[in-house]
Amino acid sequence: MPSRDIALLDVAKTYPLKRGAALAALDGISLDIANGEFVALLGPSGCGKSTVLRIVAGLEEPTSGSVSVGGASPQALSRAHRLGVAFQEHSLLPWLTVRQNIALPYSVAGRKIDGAHIQDLIELVGLVGFEDARPKQLSGGMRQRASIARALVLEPEVLLLDEPFGALDAVTRRRMNRELGRIWAELRITTLLVTHDVDEAVLLADRVVVMTGRPGRVRHIEDIDLPLREHSELTRTPEFHDIVDRLTGLLDATKDA
Amino acid sequence: MTAVRPGTQSAARAGMRPGLRTALYGLVGVAVLLLIAELIGQFGLLGTTWPPLTSVFAFLADPANHTLLGNALSTTVTEAAVGGLIGIAAGVGFALLASLVPVLAPGLDRFAAVIDAVPAVALAPFLILILGREGTPVLVVALSTTFIIYISMSSGLATAARPYHDLLAVLGARRGTRLRLVDVPAALPKLFDGLALAAPAMILGATIGEWFGARRGLGVLFISAMQNYRIDLLWAAAVLSVLCSLVLYGAAVVAQRAIARRFA
Repeated sequence: MPSRDIALLDVAKTYPLKRGAALAALDGISLDIANGEFVALLGPSGCGKSTVLRIVAGLEEPTSGSVSVGGASPQALSRAHRLGVAFQEHSLLPWLTVRQNIALPYSVAGRKIDGAHIQDLIELVGLVGFEDARPKQLSGGMRQRASIARALVLEPEVLLLDEPFGALDAVTRRRMNRELGRIWAELRITTLLVTHDVDEAVLLADRVVVMTGRPGRVRHIEDIDLPLREHSELTRTPEFHDIVDRLTGLLDATKDA
Repeated sequence: MTAVRPGTQSAARAGMRPGLRTALYGLVGVAVLLLIAELIGQFGLLGTTWPPLTSVFAFLADPANHTLLGNALSTTVTEAAVGGLIGIAAGVGFALLASLVPVLAPGLDRFAAVIDAVPAVALAPFLILILGREGTPVLVVALSTTFIIYISMSSGLATAARPYHDLLAVLGARRGTRLRLVDVPAALPKLFDGLALAAPAMILGATIGEWFGARRGLGVLFISAMQNYRIDLLWAAAVLSVLCSLVLYGAAVVAQRAIARRFA
């Protein structure tokens, strides 16, 4: 597998408003994500963290600065069908079944649908028995799991997760976190997770990037050395709570910054 | 319909399903209208051109008239079907073209609006020149259907929500692939809305098209019955065309509901 590191260099994004005014969403974001690394982007609502993800996904262009994925443009990666994204809205197509939705990337890439691989993924995300259900028949958590399975189906080289569990209740969210941690530990794909949930970020990521409020800047980068993905019982240890408390403090402080 | 709404809650309380209640109201309303029409005819309240409905239905039921009515009906329905299929194909085709080649969209929109704004009567000499008297009804149907389908399909193609477009973009889909996998399926409910609107317009278009000199059809029956003061025949033709429109409309609405359940 080729090296898929993500490099953001001095990225800024402003949106033009009426009468020549402009809204600065991001300012001077520089961030390197190594091949096979899991980075979580943590920030208060409206700090532009989803914008960072949309720029890495090639859905938006930075106003200034540069972004590259594996040395090429983000669009080159999606055109090669090597990018997996799970959005905040699950965006499952309502007229397709779970199985057909997970198979959608094959149709887009013009590749033969690998039924056995899809079945493996359905097992991986725990949707066995719901293969032929339509999205509206599923619970919120099941839809998100289907959406994650769809993001993984073409074995992407880069995985982007935009608040994939944002709509879930706390208990389901923790269970989904543990499941994602288990899945990721098997695959080890370069991953960028956007979230406002500190526990989630610390539990899943190798590094947590804390952003300031608007305009979004990088405030702090925290290396997480605990093997939490494999040993989720470590979330009960004082080390885990120390990190979570410290990062929560940083999030709070961004209000004054 | 709207007058029925306030009653639906009390209907539910009375243990009757709201749908059943609505249907019952509808049936009662139709029966009352038919009864009033019958009474007006029986007592000659609106002159001799308004016959009692029973005599119209007796005329329809009389086997002696079946060949005449049957020929006219099958001609009109055939024209409506052929013109309708052409119109649906053209409307969907133009909408897909406008979506794939956005440069063409404003021009196609305006062209469709102009064609629809010109009354069929004004176009008649031109249409007769192109397709002759027999082909004109088909063309009139095709023109009005094309417009309705083009508008509904175009607006349908724009309904797919932004997250779906984002999804297809990150999956690396080309414009045509996105159209096939997302935009077209998402457009189906609106397309079938358009079909429900177009279905009665097809019968109407065929009938009007026949006024420009066709030899057979319900429209021809209308004209000759009027000129010969055959009031029963005139009304029989009217009842047949209304029934046709209703059947087509009903079928389109049933299909529309099924599609909306599946795709929306």
